[in-house]
Amino acid sequence: MTVLMQVVINGILLGSMYGIAAAGLSLIFGTMRIIFLAQGTMIVFFAFVVYWLFVKLHIDPYLCLLIVVPLAFLVGLGLFYSLFRKAVALEDRNVTLLLAVGLMYLVDNAMLKVWSATPRSVTISYSNAVIVAGGIRVPWLRLALLGLAFASALVVFLFLKRTRIGTAVRAASEDLEATKIQGISAIWVCAISFAVGIGLAGVAGVGLATVFSFDYQFGFVWAIKALVALSLGGIGNVFGALAGGLILGIIENLAAYYWGIAWIDVASYGIFMLVLIFLPQGLFGRRALVKKV
Amino acid sequence: MSKWKLASAGLAVVAVVFFATLPFFYDVNRGQFGIFFFNVFVYAIMAQGWNLIGGYTGQISLCQNTFFGVGAYTMALLWYNDVTHTGYFFDPVLMILAGILPAILAVLIGLPLLSRLRGDYFSFGTLGFGIIVTTLFINGGKFTGGAEGRLLVKKMPEGAVFNLRTHYWVSLLVAVLATLVVYFLTSSRVGLALKAIREDEVSAVSHGINVLKYKIIAFAGGAAMAGVAGSIYGYYLMQVTPINVLTFNWLFLPILMTVLGGTGTLLGPWLGAIVIYLISWYGGSYLAGWDAVISGVVIILVMLFIPSGIMGLAQKVPGLGRKGS
Repeated sequence: MTVLMQVVINGILLGSMYGIAAAGLSLIFGTMRIIFLAQGTMIVFFAFVVYWLFVKLHIDPYLCLLIVVPLAFLVGLGLFYSLFRKAVALEDRNVTLLLAVGLMYLVDNAMLKVWSATPRSVTISYSNAVIVAGGIRVPWLRLALLGLAFASALVVFLFLKRTRIGTAVRAASEDLEATKIQGISAIWVCAISFAVGIGLAGVAGVGLATVFSFDYQFGFVWAIKALVALSLGGIGNVFGALAGGLILGIIENLAAYYWGIAWIDVASYGIFMLVLIFLPQGLFGRRALVKKV
Repeated sequence: MSKWKLASAGLAVVAVVFFATLPFFYDVNRGQFGIFFFNVFVYAIMAQGWNLIGGYTGQISLCQNTFFGVGAYTMALLWYNDVTHTGYFFDPVLMILAGILPAILAVLIGLPLLSRLRGDYFSFGTLGFGIIVTTLFINGGKFTGGAEGRLLVKKMPEGAVFNLRTHYWVSLLVAVLATLVVYFLTSSRVGLALKAIREDEVSAVSHGINVLKYKIIAFAGGAAMAGVAGSIYGYYLMQVTPINVLTFNWLFLPILMTVLGGTGTLLGPWLGAIVIYLISWYGGSYLAGWDAVISGVVIILVMLFIPSGIMGLAQKVPGLGRKGS
């Protein structure tokens, strides 16, 4: 029983990472319907930034949040205005998909040139600190990551609920056309959601750098996991995306425990397909948001 | 209109005759243009397949690489285990089976994914399906050969010679056939239905079009083309592994080629295949190691400046463009 509890808790701790990534993706996909496959690449990129800040300037990774998240926000704004602004207006969604893929190829391989293919990780003085409670071991850093996931989901939630621009973002993700008719600048709303989404990739980058070892080609896998977590949780709901991430983490760890590491993907993507087929609104999404077509 | 059709048909025949007779006055086995055009033809088949489902029907399938891989594996495993007892090099039976199996798979996963889901979810679902299949092939143990795949060189029948001339002709033939299939499919009632679905699905339903049926026809057709392309490429690689036939390059490059050439046009995939392969060919040889960065930059530039593709540009030039298709 303790072993099973440990497996589930490890899953939750791993899933918090997927949750942050999915929450960022949910903003980008929710408003603009961009299948943003470069989300994982951005996470890895910010993990490398954290790595450099730590190695070259000896800044604590959690202090890096203060630098990386605003940086990520600005990068997001820059990417939106340089690449996606015109494409979002087009009916043809191949264009935004391919822009994301192009960005992924470009940044992945630029990272290979700059940081080489060696896996990197950040080792801090408290990296190995562990809490033991009732026979269950919880590494401090992973617990911190879970806290970070909930904190960032809460911040984004309050932003969406309590600010004017947040309300506009929610409106846009329900119906972009109707939002335009209400006199809201669609471009500005899309830019803000995109920037907040990339900002969350910055948060996830800090988590990736402190807890996992990573290299230049990890991004694609992270992007797909974020997409899976997003579909599990339901689009248009930040806490849903976070919960989807936690569930995905639990599924993966249970599959690894019972069937072995090699079958993780079959289990998690199998459940993903079942959810897509039978519960297209996700586990926590509202049915009204899923229109036929 | 008919003048245009006659002229373009004439040009197409001239081009096909030229490429078909090229091996008689150019050594495609030794010269680098042989391998170049072989790759272009294979990519053209892939792009034409994606064009059918993604371009004409507007359903963004993200598992064409899976169908390519399944086709390659169908050929390789049947040949390796000598199931059909037809041990020819470029066995037509195996190549047809390599097209049929992905088409059956496409129907099986297309039925739930295309009937229930809106467009975005079809993309997610096909992506997830692709990863499941890749994992199954990697974990296939003795059946698929795992990560090392299957080495086919020893299975070469006596007297058969590995000459790129065969690869060149077969891939050209299949690419032309794929183009003809797309042409006849899209200039019939089926094509009208597909375009109606792409433009406005609700309106298509209300006009009595069986949307699911036509989407599945397009999806299965694209899958069959990808599968046959995979089997041809398998005969070229002579070792089929998850890394070389199931890689996402076989998904994203054909999409890029179709979009660069012009989605939903007959010639677009060909133009795209030639241009993109030219760029990666010369990019790879002059700036070794940077080709992936270059592909990224090319994708971004194309999408920023010519999102409607080369054919879309041509339509804007007065007198040259023609409406429709």
